Amino acid sequence: MILKTFSTDTVKGFIQTWNDHTSDGFHPNAAVIFASVAVDLHEMVSFLQTIDIKVFGCSSCGEFLFDDQKQSITEGGLVCVMLNLIPGSFDIKLINGRGQSSFDLGNKIGQWACEAFEKPAILVLASGLETDGEQLVGGIQHLAGKDITMFGGLAGDDARFKETFVFSETTLENNGAIAMVFNTKQYDIEGMATSGWVSIGADKIITHSEGNVVYTIDGEPALDVYKDYLNVRDTDLPEIGVEFPLLIKKPGSQDVLRAVTNVDIEKKLLIFAGTVPNGAVVTFSSSPGFEIIEYTRKKVREFYEKNQETDALILFSCMARHNALGPSISEEIDEVWQNWAKPLIGFFTYGEIGSNYNAACDFHNETFTMVSLKQKPDVA
Amino acid sequence: MSHRILSLIEEISSIENPADFAGKKRLVIEELKKIKSEHDNLHFKYERSSKEKSIFSSLLIKTSDDLKKVSNNLKVRAEELSTLLTTIPAYVYFKDTHLNYMLVNQPFAELAGIPAAQITGKRIQEVFPGYKNDEYINKEASVIETGNALYDIEEEIEHNDRKRWVYSNLAPIRNAANEIIGLIGISWDITDRKLHEEELRQSKELAEAGTQAKNEFIASISHEFRTPMNGILGLSEILKNTSLATDQMDLLKGIISSAENLLVLLNDVLDFSAIEAGKMEMDYQPFMLDRVMEDISLVMKMKAAEKSLGFDIFIDKNVSNLIIGDSQRLRQILINLTNNAVKFTDHGKIEVHVKQIDHTQNKATLRFEVVDSGIGIPPEALDSLFRVFSRVKQNKSKLIAGTGLGLSICKKLTDLMGGGIGVESTPGKGSMFWFSLPFTLSNLHKQRTIVAQPEETTNFLKKFVLVAEDNAINQRIVSFHLQKMGFGVDVVSDGKEALEKYLAGKYDLIILDIQMPVMDGYQAAKAIREAEKGTFRHVPIIALTANAMKGDRELYLAAGMDEYVSKPFTYEILQQAINGLLG
Repeated sequence: MILKTFSTDTVKGFIQTWNDHTSDGFHPNAAVIFASVAVDLHEMVSFLQTIDIKVFGCSSCGEFLFDDQKQSITEGGLVCVMLNLIPGSFDIKLINGRGQSSFDLGNKIGQWACEAFEKPAILVLASGLETDGEQLVGGIQHLAGKDITMFGGLAGDDARFKETFVFSETTLENNGAIAMVFNTKQYDIEGMATSGWVSIGADKIITHSEGNVVYTIDGEPALDVYKDYLNVRDTDLPEIGVEFPLLIKKPGSQDVLRAVTNVDIEKKLLIFAGTVPNGAVVTFSSSPGFEIIEYTRKKVREFYEKNQETDALILFSCMARHNALGPSISEEIDEVWQNWAKPLIGFFTYGEIGSNYNAACDFHNETFTMVSLKQKPDVA
Repeated sequence: MSHRILSLIEEISSIENPADFAGKKRLVIEELKKIKSEHDNLHFKYERSSKEKSIFSSLLIKTSDDLKKVSNNLKVRAEELSTLLTTIPAYVYFKDTHLNYMLVNQPFAELAGIPAAQITGKRIQEVFPGYKNDEYINKEASVIETGNALYDIEEEIEHNDRKRWVYSNLAPIRNAANEIIGLIGISWDITDRKLHEEELRQSKELAEAGTQAKNEFIASISHEFRTPMNGILGLSEILKNTSLATDQMDLLKGIISSAENLLVLLNDVLDFSAIEAGKMEMDYQPFMLDRVMEDISLVMKMKAAEKSLGFDIFIDKNVSNLIIGDSQRLRQILINLTNNAVKFTDHGKIEVHVKQIDHTQNKATLRFEVVDSGIGIPPEALDSLFRVFSRVKQNKSKLIAGTGLGLSICKKLTDLMGGGIGVESTPGKGSMFWFSLPFTLSNLHKQRTIVAQPEETTNFLKKFVLVAEDNAINQRIVSFHLQKMGFGVDVVSDGKEALEKYLAGKYDLIILDIQMPVMDGYQAAKAIREAEKGTFRHVPIIALTANAMKGDRELYLAAGMDEYVSKPFTYEILQQAINGLLG
């Protein structure tokens, strides 16, 4: 796979670098772009419309690029990987999410992917404030099956929690999802997801919820419970709610974390990145401290042991990890570069989609979710 | 970090030649950048720790409050549970996976006669010395092994020289990790219930024995009643055929009518008793419907004529004629309904209509309608009409004669045969009683003959009948009827004489009473059939009996008899039976 990567802060810089990278005769047919909402995304899409390229992109909450030129984590900029993929081996589609449920949105993506290839693998990005990630994943699996390979993340907006975007080479959309489908006969798509967050405090019961909207916890307004227990102000939410998500206990299966992505101060309700079922038993949860970096590095090494060959890596890391670990977040990302020394781009998300080996894909919060792209050797 | 800054300062201070400074500048800047980065990281960690400290402190305090609440709740629950265990009128125990008692409630300790605390850790045999029910212990082990609860276990235990029945339920107890850590058993003393059940069983047996005795009593008195009834009716018939003055004839008719009513009463009581005892069994045989209707016509035309009423039977052309059913019971229902019709009608006529309302390949449902032009039934009486002892009051003082059992018996009979019965009536204009019955179609299809007139009386001149009957009155009645039919009659008083006469003479028909001295009717019939063996002879034998209970017919047929006539009988009934054999 031939590819080039770069990072920049402005659309002007983007156009300049793009032109530089293609001046040597390199003709990419796809690009993956993660950009801050500080970048003029309208202007960028206007430029993309002028070139013959398929784009898979979204807004971020901090971006990172690790390649042989630089290893940097930035805020307010953009990262891009320009790819020359086998024609006919992939496709990209953006679907507007207005007027339909997250499940229906997912269902359309699943149907499209299954029509595209007999054995597809999907990368998916969705607007982070409008989408119920769990429903989106359920919708995709509805037709594509539980065992479909799928990784992705929910778009961010630099922790402003106002407007998050997905974009293609033609469209910028603040409510929708974009999917990139690969033919797995030509590309190996493998990935991992790890969290390290731990349960804290006593069990609580969700006493009123609808989908991803939680009205009351133990009979008290959900917002009051959060403020009370964490000793924070209205204005600290939802950001603090991303760092201290609810851990939903699922007897007989893996517990899941659900981060707050929005609040309604008047109605005292919380909106989560995924479904929080009525009657669910939950606890608060938190990063146990800086030792989770070592835990993540161990998981990365384990993944490397099984997948040493790669062309490029994409990382979806929860923005809460960045908040909790600060500059030290670079230590767990750097572990990837140290192992593979292959281009890695990624962004800090409002939610992650992915799975470990032999597990069905799920929607997560607080995880370090990474996917490896590798062109199969005999299909050039 | 401060140590590294100090050594940097020291290093820079030690430079005396400005030219040397230029060479070290890059290294110093690199080192300062590193120090800044580390400082930033440490600063972040400090800030982060302060923030986390605040949040975790708050979480800790709130969690501590939560735990206090949980702890209080647990205490309350524990007290509730303890109260429940103490007050529940059951023996409750907890056992570990080795089936040693962990905890028992007060009633259990009282049953064992050992303080509850001393039971902990013991096995069942130590608490109840001599306990030997391995089956129960195996069930407890199975609950531990499989995790499946077991219910409704009953066992008899003996403790302190007292036997008790105990009913138990067993369920596993699991820990938070869902592992089985023991079981809970809840047992109740059901000794009283068991004793009660035993009493009930004995009562039921007694009641059944009583019912049996009642049935036998009824069968026995019915026999005792029938013999004199036969006498009264038979002699009255004979008397009716002598020359009597008009007032004497009226008195005689009163005697006959009373006797007939008494006979109906007797038959109803017998049937009702059989139905109530669940002993009424249907006898499904192929029969010709038109023959049954002919019989009804024969009997009822005469009765109707006595009140100057018309009586007609209409059978639709499509009605199946050769059918399988209980013809005797059909006859009984029809007689009952037509009798009622005659009884409650003073002017006009009675009509019986037979229709086929449903028909499949081998089944047909027939509907019989008995229409009269009588007094009718008030609407308020219709609902209760088919109930036991229901009788319609005509006015405050007068009840129409009857037992009140007839319609109730008809309903029970139609129910037993899978049919239905009902009535439509307009007071003052008349009533229509109907009933429907399902019949199986017989394979043989025969032409139905429309019943209009009774058959001509067959003349049996020059034919001889041998009659064996021990009762002198009955001898007279039978002889009278037979002679009237044109038979020559020889009468003997027991079966032995009958056999001798049979062997010596040549008869066209033999009529045998069943209960006779010396040799009864069964033995006589068997002996006659024995004598016929190897010959081509078969003299028809009619049993004459007061035993009218179900099942008797099979006995007569088994003894080699061809027909039976139940006492008391009329001329017509005897004639029908004879016609069936010789006609």
